[in-house]
Amino acid sequence: MTRVVEVPAQFDDRSFDQFAREYGSPSDERLLFDAHAAKWASPYGLVGLLAAGQAEFERRGERSLLTLPGDRDVAHYWARAGFLRRAPEYFEVHGKAPRVAPSGESDVLLEVTPVHGADDVHGVVDRIQERAAAILSHELHLETQATMGFAMALSEACQNIVEHAGTGGWVTVQTYQWRRTLKRRVVVIAVADAGVGFRRSLEPTQAKRFGDRWGDASALEAALIQGVSRFRDPGRGQGLAGIRRYLSRWAGKLSVRSGTARIAITPSWDDDVPLADNLPHFPGSQVLMIIPAQQ
Amino acid sequence: MPKINLRDALRLAVADGYGDLVTRRTGQAVRQVIEDTLATMAGEQPAAIDFGTVRCLDLSCADEIVGRLLREHGHDRAFVLLNVSPAHRESIEFVLERHQLAVAVTDAAGSSDVVGSVTDAVRQVFQFVAHGGPASAREIAEGLALSPEHAQAALDELHRLRLMPAAHAAAAS
Repeated sequence: MTRVVEVPAQFDDRSFDQFAREYGSPSDERLLFDAHAAKWASPYGLVGLLAAGQAEFERRGERSLLTLPGDRDVAHYWARAGFLRRAPEYFEVHGKAPRVAPSGESDVLLEVTPVHGADDVHGVVDRIQERAAAILSHELHLETQATMGFAMALSEACQNIVEHAGTGGWVTVQTYQWRRTLKRRVVVIAVADAGVGFRRSLEPTQAKRFGDRWGDASALEAALIQGVSRFRDPGRGQGLAGIRRYLSRWAGKLSVRSGTARIAITPSWDDDVPLADNLPHFPGSQVLMIIPAQQ
Repeated sequence: MPKINLRDALRLAVADGYGDLVTRRTGQAVRQVIEDTLATMAGEQPAAIDFGTVRCLDLSCADEIVGRLLREHGHDRAFVLLNVSPAHRESIEFVLERHQLAVAVTDAAGSSDVVGSVTDAVRQVFQFVAHGGPASAREIAEGLALSPEHAQAALDELHRLRLMPAAHAAAAS
């Protein structure tokens, strides 16, 4: 049996819960991710879709089906973002995949890139510094110091996968015009994995402390607000806190989704809720960072 | 003061030609190289660690290379970090404030400062000594318009945190 999971036409962090609901609970059915009607996918949507394919592949040992966007421009963008280069690992791809040269274009600062170990994090940080520094300073008017902090935040977000997910994940960095509310150029980091998630990672050391309150939402609160880690080393648990501090300095947004909850540190230009619980379950963790152009 | 170059330490620690101090694994490997070097140095001899060739320093590496080094060796050895950029400083400060630690740093221009968890008075006294050389509590109190008790307390804190050798070295340079 094959079950169709519809990819939202506008696939971003806002429509991700709709996607997670369609994705549903694990079953014996082979999934067909139908992106034929997709009109746009954010970096968050693209790495989230890969995480879904990865979760299914790791669970069933079989690639899911994926129909590509019918719109030529949309498919072209998915190719330019590096999604189509990675997709065949977890999807049997149907539809015409446009051929594009490796992206040297300025809006894709880091193509969709796998993160499995520390070496991958080094590669990501190396590439982003080469490609992004000029854009971050000239187009987003960030100071030089901020571009270094950007690499730090990216590194810490990727290390969450290496240290806690129990499997590999994905990262991409893009810059584009944020039409929703802000109407300014932004740089977006999206990181996703289909691993164990925050609740299971922290459960052995934190569940007892929270008692009946323990769940995906309290695990996210513990990690992001209280800076706890599954490791007892007092130096651990600083990564998300450091990302949070960096983003708040530049009026950026941080959102972390894991399991059935999502926590967000929202600047004044965004109207996301601080904590959403009882969302449709989705495996692993998905991190979104948005930094707006400075005025 | 013996100097440990982080580019050399990075090359010795990881063979892949990395240019950034990122990931906890890399930080652990670099700290191991630093500790091996420290083991060859006389007892309480201060050590300088040169950040001049480091591009990105993330929090995990800052914790392993600076935070953990100070936690495990800071009680019996003074450290000074050389050529620390504003971006390095942010990562180091974030880590040290969490652990209530502090370390002496110099920037590329050779200007000295304290990074981490210290009071304004301690920072002022460090700057006073770093610029003017060794001074008594009375001289510091007069120079900075502090009470003698506050000046003495700041000096004691600088000694406790092993920041005084770096201040003296800065004054002598």
